[in-house]
Amino acid sequence: MLNFKLGIAALTFATLAAWAHPGTFAFTIGNPVASQDFHFKTAAFLFRTESCADPAKAQITATAEGVVKGARQSVPLKVMLASTKPGVYAVNQSWPAEGDWVVSLRGTCGGASAGAIVPMGPKGFIRESLEFFPRPATDAEIDASLKALPEEKNK
Amino acid sequence: MDEREDVKPMLEHLPLVQAPDAIWTSIEAALDQHHSPARRRWLWAFAAAAVVALLAIGYWSVGRQAGQWIETDSKSRTTVRIGEIGFVEIEPGTRVRVVTERPDEHRLMLARGEIRAKISAPPKLFFVDTASGTAVDLGCEYTLTDDELGRGLLQVTKGWVSFQWKHLESLVPAGASCRTYPKIGPGIPYFDDASQRLKEALENLGVEKSADDPLEIILAEARVRDTLTLWHLLQRVPAGDRARVYDRIAALTPVPQGVSRERALKLDPDTLKLWKDELAWKW
Repeated sequence: MLNFKLGIAALTFATLAAWAHPGTFAFTIGNPVASQDFHFKTAAFLFRTESCADPAKAQITATAEGVVKGARQSVPLKVMLASTKPGVYAVNQSWPAEGDWVVSLRGTCGGASAGAIVPMGPKGFIRESLEFFPRPATDAEIDASLKALPEEKNK
Repeated sequence: MDEREDVKPMLEHLPLVQAPDAIWTSIEAALDQHHSPARRRWLWAFAAAAVVALLAIGYWSVGRQAGQWIETDSKSRTTVRIGEIGFVEIEPGTRVRVVTERPDEHRLMLARGEIRAKISAPPKLFFVDTASGTAVDLGCEYTLTDDELGRGLLQVTKGWVSFQWKHLESLVPAGASCRTYPKIGPGIPYFDDASQRLKEALENLGVEKSADDPLEIILAEARVRDTLTLWHLLQRVPAGDRARVYDRIAALTPVPQGVSRERALKLDPDTLKLWKDELAWKW
């Protein structure tokens, strides 16, 4: 009988947990038009958190990682929270125009973490080359993305 | 009578425009270096001329009144300031009328030619009327051309523009364009990087003697990003064709929670808005 009750409790907990977190915490990347907020029309790109029960408590950081004339550079970026939609952020281009650049997004929500590498091209981010991770991207992954970027830009 | 007295009333009607700080810095620096009275008079004359020129430019860009026509010839262009919210560049061969000039509504009428609007303001403060409808600014930058027959082209570079005619509306985001037609209104918007076949098929949509089925071509050519075109198409095709469009969008990208096939095919406004907001993340 005790096992039956424990089983019911476990099932209930699992159901509630699945309801609270129907998917995995992750990022979705979009163009500025996705926000419908005129403040963001000049943003480099937008992103939003997925499957974060309380987006207000998510911890998000963004860093531009680039190579300019052969030298590796990192620029911490400010992420701007949309006033109209919870969990939606904008990133402005505050890295140099020269060189090859990707943006590394890192986030945590509750106990979950997520990462994304957003390669930047001459006309905004390169959607086909986006990379997503269930953790922050490693330095090696960022370097690999930067190495592939010149070719991605020419596609 | 002193000539300055003749000029004074005119100057009083000119708006104040602040001179760039660099002017005063350079003048002071020059005065410090050269103490000759004659040279000093020349410098002050130059400064006065610069200020008058700035006032005149300010008058041109600020002093628009409702009802005023602005016309450029084949070689000239000008810039009109839109209140505190932006600018409109008027290209050669253009005729524009200022319809309304109020803080809560800035409205131009484009009779012909080309304008480039750069607006930074909350939505629905800036409007441009044309023979084929009205471009409603939703916080954007765009180019709008209109020929003598009223056929136009809207090309958006930043933000969104809504082009409206009667009950018809096309939502055009950055990177997309939309043709406009007199007494028909806005066509279906498309991304500028869409395939040429898709764009041509859009032109042929509704043309009875078209050799191929334009809708078939559009559906086949559409990429994920072209769901912009398909979302509009869903609302414009005959009811019998809606399922084909719905199915193609659903095949290209997952249908979000809250969007049902039944309600989408009935063109339920809330369902379509929800779907559009989600699709916009792919545009």
